[in-house]
Amino acid sequence: MKVDRPLRGRCRIRAASPPFLTSSAERSIHLALIVITLSAISLSAAEVIPPKPPGYFQDNAGIVSEATALRFNEQLAQFERDTSNQVWVVIYPKMQSDDDVAAYTRRVAETWGVGQKDKRNGVVLFVFTQDRKIFIQVGYGLEGALPDVTAFDIYENRIKPRFRSNDYEGGLAEGIDSIFKAIRGEYKGTGKTARESQSNVAKKIGLFLLNHPVLIILIVLFFIPRLRPRKGYHYSSGGGGWAWSYGGGGGDWSSGGGGGGGFSGSFGGGGSFGGGGAGGSW
Amino acid sequence: MNKFAIGCGGLLVILIFLAFVIGLFFWGTYNRLVGLQQGVDTQWAQVQTVYQRRADLIPNLVNTVAGAANFEKSTLTEVTNARASVGRVQLDPNKAPTDAKQLQEFQAAQGQLSNALSRLLVVAENYPQLRATENFQGLQAQLEGTENRIAVERNKFNTVVQDYNVAVKRFPTNMIAGMFGFSPRPFFAAQQGAEKAPTVNFNFGSPSPAPAASPAATAAATP
Repeated sequence: MKVDRPLRGRCRIRAASPPFLTSSAERSIHLALIVITLSAISLSAAEVIPPKPPGYFQDNAGIVSEATALRFNEQLAQFERDTSNQVWVVIYPKMQSDDDVAAYTRRVAETWGVGQKDKRNGVVLFVFTQDRKIFIQVGYGLEGALPDVTAFDIYENRIKPRFRSNDYEGGLAEGIDSIFKAIRGEYKGTGKTARESQSNVAKKIGLFLLNHPVLIILIVLFFIPRLRPRKGYHYSSGGGGWAWSYGGGGGDWSSGGGGGGGFSGSFGGGGSFGGGGAGGSW
Repeated sequence: MNKFAIGCGGLLVILIFLAFVIGLFFWGTYNRLVGLQQGVDTQWAQVQTVYQRRADLIPNLVNTVAGAANFEKSTLTEVTNARASVGRVQLDPNKAPTDAKQLQEFQAAQGQLSNALSRLLVVAENYPQLRATENFQGLQAQLEGTENRIAVERNKFNTVVQDYNVAVKRFPTNMIAGMFGFSPRPFFAAQQGAEKAPTVNFNFGSPSPAPAASPAATAAATP
């Protein structure tokens, strides 16, 4: 069904096909190749999964002041410490897909892996300002606490009225609060975000080593012979800190008042999404 | 004589070694096939769950809509009938269908229900009073969410079936699969709504998006 779609295009290609292809078999192979290539190109042009935001709250459309963005970010981080649930809020000017907003945002949330892996407890509130669309994606593990009806209610009665009167900050604050209320009791927090506990592990290893100097000596003894610089090798320290990999090929978003920064380790963690949630246009 | 004995012994050692290697191969392959098959069945259960979830919503939806003043009766009966025929094509929820025809029937019945439901929602557009009720809004949100879930789970099902089928058909696994009766499983076909849902306009001047070409999009379009 993929192939018979670009019928018009195929005809045009046939008309433009190079004259040196005489045998019809050769030509049809050629055509098939072109059609496959074209569909591959258009496939990649069809949809862009935006890069993972650096923090819980990211405003790429500039509808929220920097101070508020930072406050939201801290609020969302604290919520993960308290409850282990990850709630992200991301605002973009446009949806980079022709698909339905529900299907697209699910793929984005799934790719980002919002939520902690074992609990799959992520929620992402998507806002696309020019499309005037909102969607609340709910991870598998929170579908019970935040069913579609509740997500719809939050969108319809908490966020939409305020967005309609251009009170974006108010709508977002209200939306975040309502999501918090719905999912607060579902899981217990550890007092740390997933990211903080990761760096905590590193800290623990460091402390352990400090308490066991013999181990350090052993490690040093083990590694020193290997570290002697050999001829022709350059030892450059790789990486250079934790740079976020922006793989998606972004597009034309101006980065607005994003929160976060200063974290280490991976953000997200492997939550998964099965299509729960609700949304619509305002 | 002595040489012959050594030769025999050597042959024996080689044979034993070969048998051992083949045994190992059987063991590993069989276990892998079992794992893959189990994955297919598990995902099938998931598919059944989301379809069941939709079926469970329907009585409530029908009651709510029927309460609306002079709601068009034909659309309602259509939904009820489709719901009933879905109930008749019950497949084992714990084992994915092995017969392509079975799955086709299942899919046809579910597709009919999808069509009836979307018609109902379209008709409901003409009843602003009904649409304003909280009950109806809630049901609509649930129904949409369920359709999304169906699309997701079906997609996942097709992926695991494909992995399994490739293993079953590919040499040399196919020999063991044949011996122990692992047969390829059917998967969901893109059908009906798939061709009408996304609007594609192909102009070659600029890179034009073709959502229909992405498997996820087509699956989303055919509940």
